[in-house]
Amino acid sequence: MAAAIGAAGQSEWEVAVPEKPLKDKTYFENLKAKVIDTNLCSRCLTCAAICPGGITVVGNKVDFPDYETKCLDCGACVRVCPRFVYEPKSGLGDYIEFIAGRSKRFAGQDGAMVTELLVSAIEMGMIDRGLFAGRDEKWATEMFHVREPEQLAITTLGGTKYTFADVLPELKKAVMFTKRGVGIVGTPCIVSGVRKLQQEYPIFRERVKLVVGLFCTENFHYDDITKFLQEKGVDFSKLVKTDIIKGKFISTMTDGKVKFKVAEAEDIIASGCNVCTDFTAVESDASVGSVGSEKGFSTVAVREENAKKVIEYIKEKGYADFGEADTSQLDFLIGHKKKREENIKRD
Amino acid sequence: MKMKSMKKVVGPEYNLSEKIKTNVYAVGVAMQESVYPHTMTVFYPRERKKMPDNYRGFILFDPDKCISCFNCSFVCPANAIRMKEAPSRRYYPTVDYGRCIFCHFCIDSCSGGALKATKIHDVAYKDMDEMFTPTEEMIELPEIIREDKKYVEYEIEEDDLHLKRTKGEDYLFVEVPPPIQIPMVSQCIDRASCIGCRVCEEMCESGAISSSAENGMLRMKIDTDKCTGCGLCVKECSMQILMLKLKKFE
Repeated sequence: MAAAIGAAGQSEWEVAVPEKPLKDKTYFENLKAKVIDTNLCSRCLTCAAICPGGITVVGNKVDFPDYETKCLDCGACVRVCPRFVYEPKSGLGDYIEFIAGRSKRFAGQDGAMVTELLVSAIEMGMIDRGLFAGRDEKWATEMFHVREPEQLAITTLGGTKYTFADVLPELKKAVMFTKRGVGIVGTPCIVSGVRKLQQEYPIFRERVKLVVGLFCTENFHYDDITKFLQEKGVDFSKLVKTDIIKGKFISTMTDGKVKFKVAEAEDIIASGCNVCTDFTAVESDASVGSVGSEKGFSTVAVREENAKKVIEYIKEKGYADFGEADTSQLDFLIGHKKKREENIKRD
Repeated sequence: MKMKSMKKVVGPEYNLSEKIKTNVYAVGVAMQESVYPHTMTVFYPRERKKMPDNYRGFILFDPDKCISCFNCSFVCPANAIRMKEAPSRRYYPTVDYGRCIFCHFCIDSCSGGALKATKIHDVAYKDMDEMFTPTEEMIELPEIIREDKKYVEYEIEEDDLHLKRTKGEDYLFVEVPPPIQIPMVSQCIDRASCIGCRVCEEMCESGAISSSAENGMLRMKIDTDKCTGCGLCVKECSMQILMLKLKKFE
């Protein structure tokens, strides 16, 4: 930032305009026709994050009702949408090391390694804020900018929420505010969105310093999953944790557990997840998930140098216990998601 | 003058002729004052003190010159200025005189010259709510009852200060040249991050920003001569890649 203030500005510049497949429609209408109406949309909200007109998503479905009035026809959404030109990624991806970790400081879903990675990155000075998805008492997601480890006293910040969160619109705000850099955690689709933003706009390349991906099989729209869980007898006021272990959706409440097979919830899986083949967030700096390590540990796939530095910092400070991770345990789910390639319609 | 040692201060010693002279002068001044009193009081409202032209009084507003840049409301240290939407969907300032500290930072910051100072300092209100002045009441001079037939100026002659009364009304609204502003110009500091949404072009009131599309490229241009440095585009740029820079003179 400081360098930018001193640097001379320009009064003339050029912007490459992306191509429009449907010439007589606006860019967002193109995006709608190609991604949203074909059920390719993953609701990563990369488009809403970059939109200068301030397009908003309504409710927890893929619905942008105000695009006609807000669209400025600039083409930014088309440039950043990870699925406008969809190149499905799958497999384990490249990694430097595959380890299991358990944070000594934080409580989370398994080993709380996502929280540990982001907080350690803040302590190192790599980033000055991490974006966490918290939840309210009804399990609706809300975004938090964590700047101090003490903020993790909000216990709802850790742990998996099986609904969508508006991470990327918040990332845009965080990028504008940040002095050092932003750390972000998200599902594979969100990671792809961040990478696309970074590819297109240097401001994101410079300021998003750590991207932590999550192992993800599928996600659910908030309205659908709450209705479904209530039918199963889950009381949201007592719900403390949701989990998917070995094909079973487990809702842990203060007075017992409700278990059922994920296959039962197949009808309510978000449509964008049916065409997603990326289980391990191959584009992230580090991916974290529960599969592949013992109970109480998180599996961490360290993919990039920046994440490697954070892991080394954690090891040096002794913030976490580390163990062996078994990549073969991931094969089933990677294969399971790879099969979804069939669902992608090619024109 | 340097005093080396303490000395008792004593009155001057007059001789007889000097004493008579000073006494006669004193009687003369007393007689003059009884016939033509030489008071320092300004008899408001029958007469008014003539204020300097740049006196910081009631603020006037010209909607035609306003570019809705919000600078006045941002700079106001007393939070007296609120922007309200007009029927034309433009945002115009309103002043709450219950808060205003008459610093006139708003007038200094006004890039379009829409806010102007007047010499009016005597607008009466019945309650605090009435002191909130909507935009419509800022366009015309406020209605004040003028009883003054004279205006008064202070005159300083060597070590004597006295009033000079002139018949006639003092004009309460004198156009003064606009305040000198630091010449700024909008510049793009990160052209690679430009979305190409052209919001800046749409916002610009002076037509300084233009764009042209050719061969799949959008060419953006800021005319530094036309740019008034109002900062509207800087505020509206969603990527925050525009910045006001000091204009360089050649």
